[in-house]
Amino acid sequence: MSAYIPVIGLEVHAELLTKSKVFCTCSAEFGGGKNSRCCPVCSGMPGTLPVINQTAVEYAVKAGFAMGCDINKFSVFDRKNYFYPDLPKAYQISQLNLPLCINGLVPIEYEEDGVKKTKNIRINRIHLEEDAGKLIHDDLNGVSLADYNRCGVPLIEIVTEPDMSSAAEAKAFVEKVSLLLQYAGVCDCKMEQGSIRADVNVSIMKPTDTELGTRTEMKNLNSIKAIGRAIDFEIYRQGKLLDMGKKVIQETRRFDDNRGETKAMRSKENAHDYRYFPEPDILQVNFTDEQLDAIKNSLPELPAQRIIRYTSEYGLSENDAKILVANKILSDFFDAAVKAYNNPKSICNFINGELMRRINLGEITLENLPFTAEQLAKLVEMADTEKVSKNDAKDVFRVMSEKGGDPEAIAKEKGLLISNDLGKVAEVIDKVLSENEKAVEQYKGGDMKVFGFIMGQCTKALKGVCTPKVIKEELEKKLKS
Amino acid sequence: MDLDMVRYLSQLGRLSFTDEELEKMAGDMTGIIEIMDTIKEIDVTYDPIKDNHNVYLNDLRKDIAADSYPTAQILQNAVNSEDAFVVPKVVE
Amino acid sequence: MDLTALKISDLRSMLDKKELSAKELTDAYLDRIKAVDDKLESYITVTAEAAEKAAEKAQEKINKGEASALCGIPLAIKDNICTDGVKTTCSSKMLENFVPFYNATVMDKLENEGAVMLGKVSMDEFAMGGSTQTSAFKKTKNPYDLTRVPGGSSGGSAAAVSASLCAAALGSDTGGSIRQPSSFCGVTGLKPTYGRVSRYGLVAFASSLDQIGPIAKSAEDCAVILNAIAGYDPHDGTSSKNEVPDFTAKIGRDIKGMKIAVPKEFYAEGIDDEVRKAVLAAADYYKSLGAELVDCSMPSLKYAVAAYYLISSAEASSNLSRFDGIKYGHRSEEGENFAELISNSRREGFGEEVKRRIMLGNYALSSGYYDAYYGKAMALKQKIREEYENIFTGCDVILTPTAPTVAYGVNENISDPAKMYQADICTVTVNIASLPGISTTCGYDSKGMPIGMSIIGKKWDEATIIQAADAFEKNFTRQNASL
Repeated sequence: MSAYIPVIGLEVHAELLTKSKVFCTCSAEFGGGKNSRCCPVCSGMPGTLPVINQTAVEYAVKAGFAMGCDINKFSVFDRKNYFYPDLPKAYQISQLNLPLCINGLVPIEYEEDGVKKTKNIRINRIHLEEDAGKLIHDDLNGVSLADYNRCGVPLIEIVTEPDMSSAAEAKAFVEKVSLLLQYAGVCDCKMEQGSIRADVNVSIMKPTDTELGTRTEMKNLNSIKAIGRAIDFEIYRQGKLLDMGKKVIQETRRFDDNRGETKAMRSKENAHDYRYFPEPDILQVNFTDEQLDAIKNSLPELPAQRIIRYTSEYGLSENDAKILVANKILSDFFDAAVKAYNNPKSICNFINGELMRRINLGEITLENLPFTAEQLAKLVEMADTEKVSKNDAKDVFRVMSEKGGDPEAIAKEKGLLISNDLGKVAEVIDKVLSENEKAVEQYKGGDMKVFGFIMGQCTKALKGVCTPKVIKEELEKKLKS
Repeated sequence: MDLDMVRYLSQLGRLSFTDEELEKMAGDMTGIIEIMDTIKEIDVTYDPIKDNHNVYLNDLRKDIAADSYPTAQILQNAVNSEDAFVVPKVVE
Repeated sequence: MDLTALKISDLRSMLDKKELSAKELTDAYLDRIKAVDDKLESYITVTAEAAEKAAEKAQEKINKGEASALCGIPLAIKDNICTDGVKTTCSSKMLENFVPFYNATVMDKLENEGAVMLGKVSMDEFAMGGSTQTSAFKKTKNPYDLTRVPGGSSGGSAAAVSASLCAAALGSDTGGSIRQPSSFCGVTGLKPTYGRVSRYGLVAFASSLDQIGPIAKSAEDCAVILNAIAGYDPHDGTSSKNEVPDFTAKIGRDIKGMKIAVPKEFYAEGIDDEVRKAVLAAADYYKSLGAELVDCSMPSLKYAVAAYYLISSAEASSNLSRFDGIKYGHRSEEGENFAELISNSRREGFGEEVKRRIMLGNYALSSGYYDAYYGKAMALKQKIREEYENIFTGCDVILTPTAPTVAYGVNENISDPAKMYQADICTVTVNIASLPGISTTCGYDSKGMPIGMSIIGKKWDEATIIQAADAFEKNFTRQNASL
């Protein structure tokens, strides 16, 4: 197979976290009994009209700012006409010529052949549209059941320029976009619930070619893994075709996750003539500079800013900062912990160490931690101030991970709490020494090795009373006297 | 207007015609398109900004969710089963 | 005295003075519907029982002295306006059994007013046509001559008002569908400024042009109804937040000094001589009242019909795509898969004219044709608007014929759709430019058929065209319909 350069463009669809749907007042929440979140508007009843949701527009603009876009101060909605049973109006309200956001840029970092690389992916546009319903296939009866709960959930479509040239880049892009949308607070990006999904366009060309090859499109890929596999398969398939002197046909292909292959959809479905025209039921949306500034200023801290805060303000290593920021829940948890105990490095070490270890073991999940950030902060503080030993802190954390709870209470219950009561220390050491006269004599006779044994006896007897450091100091004093 | 075009348009609009109906429709459409073609002689261009109604972001509907309608009402005019609209299978 | 022949203004005072009960009035209309609607065929659905109940409720309000302008007034509603629990067919087999579970906003408003709905009246299928003969159910006749059409698409509304089968009616107007049948049936019909009345619950034909409005026995009655139905609606993003004035406020005011423009293109070839003469005579009458006639021109009028049909059909092709038999409406017995089922449902459910418009609309929007047709039509829309703005710098209202002819025979014109479309020349520009227009009777032809004239106003200035129409009506004696 000769060498081809893949050319990849993405259309990422992300559902916005508004309370109500984009054109009616039904709840936009995921789930619910079939057709229980519907009204005459979103179920496409005759005579009903869409009324656009301000927050959906704001969120789309926020996404635009997060991806470095320019905002059209005059934006128009259009109808995209096609018949499909999940689309009750038989048209989708979308945007064609004057979308809300244009000309963005998303930097990505990824690893290829063990080398870390970076690249900037250009965003052509971000527009606001409505999601379609769901079809549940009933193979037994040969019918589908249409559920319109998802109809009208606000959706943004992020369209890239064909700037990617490998599955790794495309995957990194989708991950980065997910992160940006989560930080912007406009999408939860739960791929398993379909709140973010992607269409992928792939073509290949020879390095000497001046024109792009014929592209194919894979729609509705709903996992990062599927995106990568579909791209890899398509690059392979198209390469094989060209190698055999055949042509790539421009078409929409379905990715079969089980077989890891793409398959052509029936050609009739490909011949789409969407007959776009300006949506007469929705008046064009205008923005003042003040309104755009206000949206921009309401944008929460984005990943790049957060990494800078962690490294420059908190003194974390860039690697640690990136690990934290790469997961918004983790990063937010870290921030909350730092707020409770202002020792970012120490908290970072504990999170990236113990917490991540237990998550990776599958014992706990970030989404459902049995303890609060404040409780974790307290545990780290206790270890730092030697209220528990570093080793015992891990024990306490194990209990917190299993059943939650206050670290101090757990340490106390397990007798791991260190009180540093010097009177008691002296008393116990005296007792240990009197019980081990022989060893004491050996020590005083110059056998330094026996110190370890005595120290061990003291530590055992003083568990939860004081730290080894104090025991050592006190013991040395006693032995010298 | 030729029959292929009429057939294509009928597919776009999900209308089906018999051959006879198609012929008649082609005849009707030809007469209608003749009138429509009068606009070809004038040179004008659409400017979307001229249609601006000056609706600003703050004029839009506030994001407040309200109760939906009972599922039974949503489905009352449809063939339905298990709280859903029944659709014959989609061939792709 | 024949109660049903009275205007709303007269009925109001009789109801308030208790000379008449709301129930008596409703019964009078229901009796007359029973007696003559077999011949006229205006009502698709008569809601007698609900009307009686509404009349009783209205009477309670009247008794408490809480009656508003339309309280106890029996009205007919065009069958493309959704009525909760009452079949709304759009005169289409497609919606033969469709029962909405929601009200159009205008229906909520009328209910709050205490108005009484007598039933739903016929129209051209999905409001496409000018004769009401494309109705799948009731091909309404003209009360002045039962062998002629009542006009359309609000033919049922206009005929019912004309034949006194209701005190007044609601219609809808996309390219003349209120004004032209009002003209044909010798009554007054008002198409409000686009955005004045909520379209929520009006089954859409062409969303950028559709507007609900009243058809009544006088301009004053139209004003009273418009007062009740106008205003911003949060369910319609295109409804206007502009303040709603009292539309009766200018009624009876002197029109001396009013500048009335007479655009020559509206009186050119293609306009029936008798029609032209009657409208120009009305212009002279206005002059005699002290109005000033102004010459003006609308060069783009010759493109208006094409622009209108391209825009309205394009929007209609999209608006009517939702009728697939899946969610509501006619569902074919035949069809192995989704595509087949919906094609068959639409084939069986839609009439010929509707199919033609869908075909034309798809043509105008399809790839490769968009710029030449839809794009050009949208540009013309802007040009026509500008020409109107220009004319209005020199006048208060514009006077035109409402239709090129009087009502024609039920079997005429139907075979040639292209010719039928040309007949809309006088009315479509008003919708294209979003303006208000009112049609009132200005004379009768040699056969006694009514001739209508249209008064077109500036955006949001319904009050002035109502004033002008009323000034004419006050000194004009209408000939009653023969039915």
